[in-house]
Amino acid sequence: MPWPIYLALKQLFPSGRRFPFFTLISILGVALGVALLVISISVMGGFGHEIRRMIVDTQGEVQVKGRGYLADAAPLHAAIARVPGVVATTAYAEGVALIEHDHKPAYPALQGIDLEHVDAVIPLRRFVRLGSLDRLDDDSVILSSQLAHSLGARLGSRVELYSPLLLEKLKNDEVMLPRELEVVGIFEVGHQQLDSSVVLVTLRTMQDLYGLGRGVHGINVKIAEDADPDRVARLINSALPPEANAEARSWIDANQDFLFVLQLEKNMIFFLLTFIIIVAAFSVASSLLIAVVRKTREIGLLGALGGRPSQVAACFCFQGFFIGIAGTVAGLALGFTFLHFRNDLIRVFTQLTGSEEVLARFYQFSRLPAYTAPSDIATIVICSIVISTLAGLLPAWRAARLKPVEALRSE
Amino acid sequence: MTQDSASSGNLSVQRSALSVERSATVAAAAPVLAARSLAKTYLTGTQRLQVLRDVSLTVLAGESVSIRGESGSGKSTLINLLAGLDAPDAGTLEWGGGPAAAGRRADFLGIVFQSFYLIPEMDALANVLMAARIRGRIGAAERSRARELLAKVGLGERTTHLPAQLSGGERQRVALARALMNGPQLVLADEPTGNLDEHTGDAVIELLLGLCRDTRTALVLVTHNAAHAAKCDRPLTLHEGVLG
Ligand SMILES: Nc1ncnc2c1ncn2[C@@H]1O[C@H](COP(=O)(O)OP(=O)(O)O)[C@@H](O)[C@H]1O
Ligand SMILES: [Mg+2]
Repeated sequence: MPWPIYLALKQLFPSGRRFPFFTLISILGVALGVALLVISISVMGGFGHEIRRMIVDTQGEVQVKGRGYLADAAPLHAAIARVPGVVATTAYAEGVALIEHDHKPAYPALQGIDLEHVDAVIPLRRFVRLGSLDRLDDDSVILSSQLAHSLGARLGSRVELYSPLLLEKLKNDEVMLPRELEVVGIFEVGHQQLDSSVVLVTLRTMQDLYGLGRGVHGINVKIAEDADPDRVARLINSALPPEANAEARSWIDANQDFLFVLQLEKNMIFFLLTFIIIVAAFSVASSLLIAVVRKTREIGLLGALGGRPSQVAACFCFQGFFIGIAGTVAGLALGFTFLHFRNDLIRVFTQLTGSEEVLARFYQFSRLPAYTAPSDIATIVICSIVISTLAGLLPAWRAARLKPVEALRSE
Repeated sequence: MTQDSASSGNLSVQRSALSVERSATVAAAAPVLAARSLAKTYLTGTQRLQVLRDVSLTVLAGESVSIRGESGSGKSTLINLLAGLDAPDAGTLEWGGGPAAAGRRADFLGIVFQSFYLIPEMDALANVLMAARIRGRIGAAERSRARELLAKVGLGERTTHLPAQLSGGERQRVALARALMNGPQLVLADEPTGNLDEHTGDAVIELLLGLCRDTRTALVLVTHNAAHAAKCDRPLTLHEGVLG
C-alpha cells in the first residue's frame, strides 16, 4: 500500500481508538445526503413511473390518430400490424357527451372501445373495480369512479346520454331520444382527471352516438417489451398509406410537455439535495484543514523522511475520497433500507398522526411508489464521491505547500 | 524515566564489543558528507540575517561529529542544509560522493529532532516503519528490522504503544529507531536531548552513539551539552557563522 493511503487510513482510523469521531461524523454527513437523494429521486421516479405506466396502460405505447376521423380503419390495422415491434392494435372513438343521472348532468369524455381487441392492448380489466368489462355491451356503460360518485350512480343505475348528433337531428326537425344505458361497471385508474371524467362505452355505441358509421378516431398500438416507442411510431408513419390521413405518435412524444415538467422537477430535487452533500463536504474540508494546521509539524516530518509534497497532498485527498466512498455506501444502504420499508414507515406515521385517509384521498394512493433508475444511482454515486474528494483538495493543497523546514519550526 | 537509564546500561555493554571492529573501517572510509562553503542568509522584511558565512564540513563513514554553539548561532539552520531540507545561498553539498537530492534522502540519512515528531495516530512500531514506507520498501524484513531496532532502544515490549503512552525519553528513542530504520549512512541529530531531563538525555545520547557505532553510521550531533559533545570523535563549534 502506498504510504499516503496508509497514513490517510491511520488518520481516519487511529490505532487504539475505538470510535474515530471525526471519521464517523464525516461519513454520516455524506451518507445522509446520499440517502436523502436516493429516497427522493426514487420516490420521484416512482411517481413518474406510475404516471407513465398509467398513460401507457390507458392508451398503448403508440397512438395512431386520424386528422378528422378514419372512415375505414381496416387497411390501417393491417398496415400497422406489419410494422416490426407492433404486437396488437385496437381502434377507438372518442368524444364528449352530456350524461344525466337522476337529474344530475355531467360532461364526461366518452371512450368507445373495441371489445374484441382492447384486451390485447390495454389492461382495462385491471382498472374495473366493480362490475365487469365482460358485461359491457351496446346498451351499457362503465363509469369512472369519481364521476359515478358525483352522479350518484351505482351498478345497475340507468344513465341517459345526449350526443352532439342529437342537436344535428333537431336542426332537421327530427326527433331523437337520448340513449338510455345501464351502468355495468366502475373503473378507477388512480389518476384524478381520468377517474373523474371518463365513460367507457362500446365502439359501436360511440359510432351510433356520433354517426360515425364504421369509422373510428384512432388506433391504440401495443408494442413489444423491448421496442422503442419513438422508433415504432416512426416506422408506422412510414408504413401508413399517405391517403390514410393519420399520424402515429409515441406516448413519449404525445406527453412531451408533461414529461419535461416531470424531468425538470426531478432535476430540481437532485440539484437542491446535492447541496446537502456539498454542505457535508464543506464540513469535511474544514475538519481536514484543521487537521493540516494541527499536524503541521508531522507533515514537515514526512518531508524530512523523504515524502514528496504530492504524496502529502494525496494523503489528504484520499481522506476526502475515502469519506466519499464510505459515506456513499452507507447512504445507499440507508436509502434503500428506507425505501424497502417505506410503506411500513408511512403506515406507522399516518397511524400516529391519523392522516391515513388524507393521504389516500389527496395522492390517489396509500402506498408510496418508488422506482430507482440505475442511471440516477450512478449519478448520485459519482457526484457524492467527486464532491467529497474535492473537499480533500483544499487541505491537500495547503499541506503540500508546507515546507518541511518551516513546518518543523512552527510551534 | 527509570526505564530510560536502565536500558542504556544494557546498550553500552553491547557497544564496547563492537567498537574494536569499527576503528578498522574508519580508516578506509570515503566521506559520507561533504559540505563546502555553505552560506545562509535569512531575509525578514528589510532585515538581513547572515546565519552561516562559510561552513565546510566533511564527515567520514562511521565518524561522529558534534556541533556546539549558542542558541541562535545557526545550528538548526546548518542541520537543515545538511539534510537537504533547505537550500544554501552558496556552497555545495554532497552525500556519499554524489549530489544531495531530496529523492535520495530516505535512503541516505536519518534525522532526529529536538521534538520527537511521532505521528500520534500510530503505535511505536508503525512510527518506525513509516520511514520504510516512505522509502517505498515495506515487507516482512522491514517489520522484523523495526522490531529489532525497537528492542535495541529498549522498547521491545512497547511496540504497540501509542506516542501518548510513552514518556519523553521513550518517544525520542522511537524517533532514534525511526532514523535508523532505513540503514542510513548518516544520522543528523538536532539537540535530541533538548526536551529531556538530564538523566534521560544522557541515556538517549548513549543509545544514539552506541547505535551509530554498532551500525557504523556517521553522526552529526548538535548539542548544548559539553559532556555529550565530548563523546563524539570530533567536537566542533559553530560561532559567528563559521564552524571551527
Ligand atoms: N526561517 C527563518 N527566517 C528568519 N530567521 C530565521 C529563520 N530560521 C532561523 N532564523 C534565525 O536564524 C538564527 C539561527 O537560527 P537556528 O539555526 O534555529 O539557531 P540554533 O538552532 O543554533 O538555535 C536565529 O537568530 C533565528 O532567529
Ligand atoms: Mg536549534
